[in-house]
Amino acid sequence: MNTLGMKTLFAKEVRRFMRVPGQTVLSPLISTTLYFIVFGYSISSRVKEVGGVPYLSFIVPGLIFLGIANNAFLNSSSSLFITKIQGTLVDLLVAPLGPGELLAGFIGGAMVRGLVVGVLTWAVAALFTGFNLQHAGVTAFFLLLSSYVFSLLGLLAAMWAEKFEQINFFPTFVMMPLTFLGGVFYSVRELPSPWSQISLFNPMVYMVEGLRYGMLGQSSFSPALGGGILLGLALVATGLALVALRAGYKLKS
Amino acid sequence: MSVPVLELQGLTKSYAKLTALSDVNLSIRQGEIFALLGPNGAGKTTLIGAICGLVKKTSGRILLFGKDLDEDPVGPRYEVGLVPQEINFDPFFTVAESLHIQLGYYGRPRDEARVDEVLTALNLQGKKDSLTRALSGGMKRRLLIAKALVHRPRLVFLDEPTAGVDVELRRDLWSYVRKLASEGTTIVLTTHYLEEAEELADRVGVINEGRLLLVEDKASVMRRFGERRLIVTFEQPPPALPEPAQRFNATLSEDRRTLTYVEREGTPPSGELLRELYAQGLPISDVETRRSRLEDVLIEILRGRPQKAA
Ligand SMILES: Nc1ncnc2c1ncn2[C@@H]1O[C@H](COP(=O)(O)OP(=O)(O)OP(=O)(O)O)[C@@H](O)[C@H]1O
Ligand SMILES: [Mg+2]
Repeated sequence: MNTLGMKTLFAKEVRRFMRVPGQTVLSPLISTTLYFIVFGYSISSRVKEVGGVPYLSFIVPGLIFLGIANNAFLNSSSSLFITKIQGTLVDLLVAPLGPGELLAGFIGGAMVRGLVVGVLTWAVAALFTGFNLQHAGVTAFFLLLSSYVFSLLGLLAAMWAEKFEQINFFPTFVMMPLTFLGGVFYSVRELPSPWSQISLFNPMVYMVEGLRYGMLGQSSFSPALGGGILLGLALVATGLALVALRAGYKLKS
Repeated sequence: MSVPVLELQGLTKSYAKLTALSDVNLSIRQGEIFALLGPNGAGKTTLIGAICGLVKKTSGRILLFGKDLDEDPVGPRYEVGLVPQEINFDPFFTVAESLHIQLGYYGRPRDEARVDEVLTALNLQGKKDSLTRALSGGMKRRLLIAKALVHRPRLVFLDEPTAGVDVELRRDLWSYVRKLASEGTTIVLTTHYLEEAEELADRVGVINEGRLLLVEDKASVMRRFGERRLIVTFEQPPPALPEPAQRFNATLSEDRRTLTYVEREGTPPSGELLRELYAQGLPISDVETRRSRLEDVLIEILRGRPQKAA
């Protein structure tokens, strides 16, 4: 086990995004803050509460989830993809870094970025709504696991992608719509039929609800559902990534 | 005999439409400088890539320091360094940072002294704190070499290390490579500057279309394939080919002014012919000898000049 090699890659990944904090941390923070202000204020004038929670507080967990998922994904996908394109992947492949070390380094860095954005979003939101944390353990579980899962998905996307636009495919056409339709801004329970039923197939719904349970203490679905989905995804994606890295899928010729 | 540093057994790499390496067998000894020569597309980079984990081999075995890479793909790589043919750099890091990161990848802690040492050896100490993207092309290649050496590998692959490097540094690099080899580092290099191979290599391998055509001591290749031409110019053309020249199988030019003798392995030395010509009192105005270079030898081998059994 090359612990130092793994730590070096991790530290390099963190430094990579910290070198341009405006782009990697501040800009996502501003856009989630804008969501918060625009959606929050325009809708909360009509919708006062959702399930007994003030509307502004209701949307906070979803926005945090959005920040984590997007930034974790973006970090690992862009980092690995750039490494492939600029040829520095050679350094990683020649070095004594096994699949586990590569995975930990890339994913660790991406998780840090996702969590930094998530926690800062939370801090900004707390200025508007006050600080809500009902179940610290559940909240930590969802924060960590969602950053882990989306970092992994980003890594897989970058391995598969050959063109830059391909790594944007997943965030634009899958993650964005699913998250926006995933009950960030409303409760899917209150949607009219058949949207309410259709939404039940959206895995993001359960992840957002899980985090909502952790922070606000109540949600439409049991957090165990979201937790189960995240764990399942984490296991499958970890397995896939390790196998792909070991085989050098699209990394070695 | 000690375990070879590197051993390839039946190494084969096939792409969809082309076999880049076919049944390559090779054994590299500790501390030698081995030059892998061949035309563009011969398979040199592919061969190095297969050993360094950049190319997935189709079949065959690769043993690094006696360990089969199929059984342990990671362990032996602590002791390997590669200067890739293509320049790569991470534009966000400085020269020194790149080297520290490289040390880390190889499981070694930060080491300012070592980084300084390598930078000095490659004439980059003045650029220590520059961002890598601010380096000139030749400097980027030097950084690539520094990165491949900073963790003190026992086996170093140099894939065209001096492409685009200026004359002075090329000389410096050659002496550095020789120093490394004398300290026990094993070097495998590819180059299109045959002068470089001639200067450095203990052994050469010639590869073409994925096949290793020849592996031999450089001195012995030069002896077997190399030739020395003796060219004698006369003041007055002799009426006919002088007798000793006939015996030596030398040839006279059409205007009978120049005599050419090709000395190869097994033929009498050209000095002998020259002595006999002088002894005859022929009016010689100029004498020139031309020794073939590795370049000429390589062309001969690639053209498939019939090879004697070694
Ligand atoms: N990824 C790939 N897919 C298909 N063919 C490839 C690939 N990489 C290399 N080749 C082919 O394999 C052959 C060997 O290429 P290689 O790069 O090993 O040559 P080389 O001897 O290093 O040449 P050069 O002196 O130009 O660097 C070439 O015909 C090349 O086109
Ligand atoms: Mg090459």
